Amino acid sequence: MTLTIPDGMGGFRDIRYAEATAGARSYGKALLAAAEVDPRIVCLGADLSQPTQTTYFRDTLPERFFMVGIQEANMVGVAGGMARAGDIPFAHSFCVFITRRVYDQVAMQVAYPKLPVKLVGFIPGLTTELGVSHQAIDDIALMRALPNMAVIEPSGPEQVGAAVAAALAFDGPVYLRLSLSKGAPDETTPLQQFELGRGTIMREGADVAVVTSGAMVGHALEAAEMLERENLSATVVNMASIKPLDSALVARLARSHKMVVTYENHSTIGGLGSAVAEVIALSGSTPRFAMVGVNDVFAEGGSTPYLFGKYGLTAGDLYRAVKGLAN
Amino acid sequence: MDTNSDDLAEVERRARSIRRRVVTVVERIKVGYLLQGLGAADIFATLFFRELRLDAANASWPGRDRFILSTAHNTALLYSTFAERGLIPESALESYTQDGSAFEVNASERVGPLVEATCGSLGQGLSVGVGMALSLRRQGLDSRVYVVLGDGELQEGQLWEAVLSAASFQLDNLCLIVDRNYLQVEGHTDKVVRMDPIAPKFAAFGWRTLEVDGNSVGEIARALDVARETKGAPTAIVARTTPGAGVPFLEGQMAHVAYLKPEEARRALADLEAAQ
Repeated sequence: MTLTIPDGMGGFRDIRYAEATAGARSYGKALLAAAEVDPRIVCLGADLSQPTQTTYFRDTLPERFFMVGIQEANMVGVAGGMARAGDIPFAHSFCVFITRRVYDQVAMQVAYPKLPVKLVGFIPGLTTELGVSHQAIDDIALMRALPNMAVIEPSGPEQVGAAVAAALAFDGPVYLRLSLSKGAPDETTPLQQFELGRGTIMREGADVAVVTSGAMVGHALEAAEMLERENLSATVVNMASIKPLDSALVARLARSHKMVVTYENHSTIGGLGSAVAEVIALSGSTPRFAMVGVNDVFAEGGSTPYLFGKYGLTAGDLYRAVKGLAN
Repeated sequence: MDTNSDDLAEVERRARSIRRRVVTVVERIKVGYLLQGLGAADIFATLFFRELRLDAANASWPGRDRFILSTAHNTALLYSTFAERGLIPESALESYTQDGSAFEVNASERVGPLVEATCGSLGQGLSVGVGMALSLRRQGLDSRVYVVLGDGELQEGQLWEAVLSAASFQLDNLCLIVDRNYLQVEGHTDKVVRMDPIAPKFAAFGWRTLEVDGNSVGEIARALDVARETKGAPTAIVARTTPGAGVPFLEGQMAHVAYLKPEEARRALADLEAAQ
């Protein structure tokens, strides 16, 4: 099928990538599917093929797979050089190492020149037992502050294919923040669309609007059920496009709800919560507002349920934050 | 593609002309990267008049060789070389470092495709060069990548990541030239971080390694010939240069930036005329 979309929309590639990645419920398969239709895509790794789901690419398109080794700074510079020579590099590591560790390299060799380098990070926030070295609680803040950079955090396997297609269709640098899905992706989960600059309303309510992203979307829907039982009806927005943010939607939520609460697996400083707060502060609306996230502390190693409980990131914490605002 | 010169005397003549431009440019702004500019003029002249495959009429020609100045600040020399080669108009030199000019102290891609990457945050240029060399090779293009580093930049950790990586990927289309002038902001490089011996470090990392007098066009040209013929490994040319080279009263002076009074500029230009 061939569709034509007007110039300036990146339409041709949109369609091609969207078709290729449709149905892919793991990042690795979505990337491979996209690469099979676009010969410019190259895959860069920093020793973590298995945990970044790039073994599919490595084993299927080895001539376009470049294992740089444990040298993230070099990898980002290499990605910049490859993009300047006409390729579209996807560079992989854990969230913390593809952002904080290489911030200046990303700023100078990717963001400033607005190159089509896609930085792909796994293990967002507190979702690792390894410890503080591997916990990315400031990656969104860092990437969001860079001019030209888009920041995408899909809700899970159901949205990852669409997020990869959108990252490719965007003719510039992207930070893709991904969670490792536990076990095999559920093939019955309905696929979710993704459009850069657009949030998705997962659930409509009248009292509180919860704006969230990534794996927290699922927890937010749980909290909404708990609130429903208390006669508090919640809108839940999957704001997978953290930058550009869907400012129009945020402003609309701030007008139409008495309360807005942000919910993120990230520091409350500089992340999605801050981005939403910035829009609301400029919008003229004055909803009651709260932020649920990592509260300006470093965490430690532990299971995700333990850490989410200790650092206030559970559905129950979101529920309590809304109740606190409502009273 | 333009024709390069095999006539070393012609390259030397170009180097002298570039030096005159460097002196004139720095005199205009009163203080700048004068000593390094004079010191590396022979390297730049050899690259731009004998080695690099370029098309002055089409700076973004895909078949061009890539040139990256990783230090980015040796621009009195870089822009003088561009002007001498006919890649930018003379008027560009007059705007050097002026507000609003694309010809900034640190070369940026605001200049256009002649500046292949915006460097200046030290240690990054070789990584970009590795990426370009990888892509050019995989695309089946025979363009080569040349990266010029300052010796102080060897103190950056990322540089050695890129050195490992270039050898590991066997990038024989990549050539690194280290401008060994012993000069960094703090003073003499060896008083900051002891780096000698440099060439054996590159050799140990798996590079074809050559040491040359960086103020000898003949030695630089021969080393570049060896680099071009080397298969299976990148080449590092450690080029010892004398800050202020070509102007006797400036030779060997050690200052990261130099003030140039009008009478000193006149004397320097006279010395360069006399050398012909």
